[in-house]
Amino acid sequence: MLKRCVAAEWAKLRHSYIWLLVVTLPVISILIGCANYYMNRGILKNEWYSLWSQVGLFYGEFFFPILIAICCAYVWRLEHFQKNWNLIMTAPVSVAAIFLSKWVVVGILLLLVQGIFGGLYVLGGIWLGFNSMPPGELLGWLLRGWIAALAISTLQLALSMRIRSFAVPVGLGLCATFLGLGMYVLDLGQFFPHSLLSIGMGVLSQTSLSTWSQELGFLLVSLLYITIISTAAIRCMRKSDVIT
Amino acid sequence: MMNAVRLEWYKLRRKRLLGMITLLLLVELAWAFMATSVSISRNPEHAGWESLIATVSSMNGLFLPILTAICVSRICDMEHKGNTWKLLRTVMVSPGQLYAAKFMTASIMGLWGCIFQVFSIFVFGMLNDFNPAVPVVLLTRFLLGTMITTLAIITLQLWISVAVKNQAFALSLGMIGGFIGLTADLLPSGLRRLLVWSYYSGLSPIAQSYESEQMSFAVRDIGTLLPVMALLAVVGAALYLAGNIYVSKREL
Repeated sequence: MLKRCVAAEWAKLRHSYIWLLVVTLPVISILIGCANYYMNRGILKNEWYSLWSQVGLFYGEFFFPILIAICCAYVWRLEHFQKNWNLIMTAPVSVAAIFLSKWVVVGILLLLVQGIFGGLYVLGGIWLGFNSMPPGELLGWLLRGWIAALAISTLQLALSMRIRSFAVPVGLGLCATFLGLGMYVLDLGQFFPHSLLSIGMGVLSQTSLSTWSQELGFLLVSLLYITIISTAAIRCMRKSDVIT
Repeated sequence: MMNAVRLEWYKLRRKRLLGMITLLLLVELAWAFMATSVSISRNPEHAGWESLIATVSSMNGLFLPILTAICVSRICDMEHKGNTWKLLRTVMVSPGQLYAAKFMTASIMGLWGCIFQVFSIFVFGMLNDFNPAVPVVLLTRFLLGTMITTLAIITLQLWISVAVKNQAFALSLGMIGGFIGLTADLLPSGLRRLLVWSYYSGLSPIAQSYESEQMSFAVRDIGTLLPVMALLAVVGAALYLAGNIYVSKREL
């Protein structure tokens, strides 16, 4: 059932030009990050690691969470039009499948964003003339960033499901980004989904997850957020009446 | 015309838009004040209006483009969702009038945001005993620069939000604008001049520079900023006219 729901969600995204959004953000982040690295080569001596700090900072701290919010609002957008809530709630599929299919589709889109970002980072490094190979940690940063993005997307999906406006969940996402940054600075990053992205992608500290126990803690907390928030959202879908 | 503006506010009465603007600005200002406090505790010579205004200006580059995109999107999205563009045209509201009313509504919200920022900066400065007690000229210049930039961005966002039904594009433009606003000082000056979002720091009365691992602040000459402000106002007016003509000519 979930597979068919995912296929239906995917069909809704056809001809939507969301790919334009998915491609634009990593491209701009990499261009500005590389330009900044190029202009400050005198201070930034650590080749790939310095480049990561430049390209990842604005991307991971501010713009990736907002992109997640926009993608989540986008997949719920159609349901808020006209009588579509009635239509999907009377479809012969479970509400859990409806919510999870949207989560899976957003997850695929975010994996694509991370993949493009990683690919462009390597290309940027080659273009800047780095002699060494890309860092071995790169895959871990991207993958952990994606896992944290899945936790954030669960929260944003729940918000976009409840709030009919497209823009309000994005605004709340912006507030949460700053709250997450504050929690990270206060060393309470594990307690907020948006801070998990900073920790996972290593944009502020590239050694924030240096031991296996920290890695495991990060994975468990992300999984916990995904489970709790999606369970609450699905329960809310089951219990509350739809507004059309 | 005033009736059309009043009706816009009537339509927005339960959307808590002003509350949302205030909430987002509170988050931004809390962050800016925290950064300034940390900076003052490390370098006591930074305890002044200059560092505070410069910090808020650079934070505005990130926040205000996104906030403007959200506000304008909400003002236009209600017509798209309710499919009321055609309905409004049949009740003797011309498209140009409606566009102007939406622009004025968004501008009033922008003005509220700017005044709220100036008031908050003033209160924070007073609580920290900054000298001089009330920097009227600096705060007025900050208000003017921020407002002109916001107005130019509103004209651009309004055009996109009205023209494209799918608000993801308007919000993405706001996000890209925020990105450009945040990194504006890193861009080459020729490119920076072409991007409206970069003027939050460009029209700030305070210039900040980082030399020999030290941050320094300097008050910009008003004589050099006034022509830039005038040019940006002209660009804003051109964008407004283009958007208005587009809305008036399009087929519903």
